[in-house]
Amino acid sequence: MSVQELLAEYGDKYVLALLTTWKLTALAFSAAFVIGIVVTVMRVSPVKPLRVAGDFYVQIFRNIPGAALLIVLVYALPYLNVVLSYFTCVLTATALIPAAFCSEYLMAGMNTIALGQIEAARALGMNFSQMIRLIVIPQALRSSVLPMTNLLVATMLTTALASQVPLNPTDLTGIVAHINTHAVGGVTAFLISAVLYCATAVVIGQIGNLIDRKARILR
Amino acid sequence: MVQAEENKEVLTEQSPIIELRNIDKYFGEHHVLKGISLTVKKGEVVVVIGPSGSGKSTLCRTINRLETIDSGEIIIDGVPMPGEGRKLAQLRAQIGMVFQSFNLFAHKNILDNVIMAPVEVLHMPKQQAKEEALQLLKRVGVESQAAKVPAQLSGGQQQRVAIARALAMHPKAILFDEPTSALDPEMINEVLDVMTELAAEGMTMVVVTHEMNFARRVADRIIFMDDGSILEENTPEEFFEHPKTQRAQDFLNSIKEH
Ligand SMILES: Nc1ncnc2c1ncn2[C@@H]1O[C@H](COP(=O)(O)OP(=O)(O)OP(=O)(O)O)[C@@H](O)[C@H]1O
Ligand SMILES: [Mg+2]
Repeated sequence: MSVQELLAEYGDKYVLALLTTWKLTALAFSAAFVIGIVVTVMRVSPVKPLRVAGDFYVQIFRNIPGAALLIVLVYALPYLNVVLSYFTCVLTATALIPAAFCSEYLMAGMNTIALGQIEAARALGMNFSQMIRLIVIPQALRSSVLPMTNLLVATMLTTALASQVPLNPTDLTGIVAHINTHAVGGVTAFLISAVLYCATAVVIGQIGNLIDRKARILR
Repeated sequence: MVQAEENKEVLTEQSPIIELRNIDKYFGEHHVLKGISLTVKKGEVVVVIGPSGSGKSTLCRTINRLETIDSGEIIIDGVPMPGEGRKLAQLRAQIGMVFQSFNLFAHKNILDNVIMAPVEVLHMPKQQAKEEALQLLKRVGVESQAAKVPAQLSGGQQQRVAIARALAMHPKAILFDEPTSALDPEMINEVLDVMTELAAEGMTMVVVTHEMNFARRVADRIIFMDDGSILEENTPEEFFEHPKTQRAQDFLNSIKEH
């Protein structure tokens, strides 16, 4: 089938698929971001068990393939009497993994903070949580906008895991499988999805650059 | 009777703001502070001088426990300072600190640098903190820079902001660790002038510096340190004219040569 034919017949479905991919990406990245910050705070906290747990989290989820995690969530959790919807399973898998990378980028961002500023904060009577909230995390975030932008794109690509479970509406990768079981879309069906992924990534990259320019810390 | 009256006067008016008792501090094997005792009274300006590596910075940083100590006691305005916890933070908030490298918060503008701790640590209403901050910035001569970030200011301006940031906490004393050593020569005086004014207004100050003219003019007392000990403690007149120890004489000669 040609691009025109595909779009004529499946145009609506592509739109829904694109929206699903966007939705999964937005939710997963937001969750990853929050988890990443929490894990990072744990990793630098004065409490040893928290530090160990934080490091452990990163080691686990940085090194596990998304598909393996999804299989665990879909097939293993029910044995523990935890049955999540397919959507939630995909969302969880695509949030837990980027969260580990988010924490790594924040740790790298923290290394750019001059130790003197931490001392100044201590000398002003700030406690650990004030220091983290007011000095450390804000500066780490500002100096990690570009890696975070890349992480957002990577998260979007990871949401293709959704194609491995039955979802309605499905995502940009799932739609290709759907079309190819109902008709002969071939590579063209995938091409349309690829263009939509790329276009989204380009927009994300542009916005990331804009934010980076605004947020970057003068030194 | 008269004697008793006088003693009472001494106790109430001149109880020390900072008291160090027998402080010992090691960096590994290296004994950096050797049984240091020091008392700083309200309104006093104590200038600490001595050769490089003698422990001046360590002493200064020990006063608000930015450095841990191995033994001894630190008492701030009558209250023993614990090694950690909320009480420590509270006492630290009462002692300002100005560093050689300014250490302003790089992501915040100048005004926010000054109001952050009063708002967050002292829970001062933001509006009041802003008004006070602008007053302080004016006092140190950088009010026109309030909306800029630290990197846009000269070193001298940054250091004056750092002084304003310390003052914003209404500190009982301010510690200065070589506040002008990182500055270009033409900016040194603008910072020393602010410090001289503070001293004249009665601020209690401990100043580590190599600026001997400042020490002579402003200090009530000179502390001469060498190798982790206080070797001499005297008025500037006495210390500079009649240093008692050979080490102090050598030190003064060595800086005269420069
Ligand atoms: N973090 C540290 N770890 C190990 N040794 C240290 C540390 N900080 C300082 N020292 C050592 O402690 C001694 C005292 O250092 P300190 O910085 O207090 O000296 P100083 O009198 O301030 O010198 P300067 O005039 O060069 O600033 C020095 O021998 C120094 O090498
Ligand atoms: Mg020093």
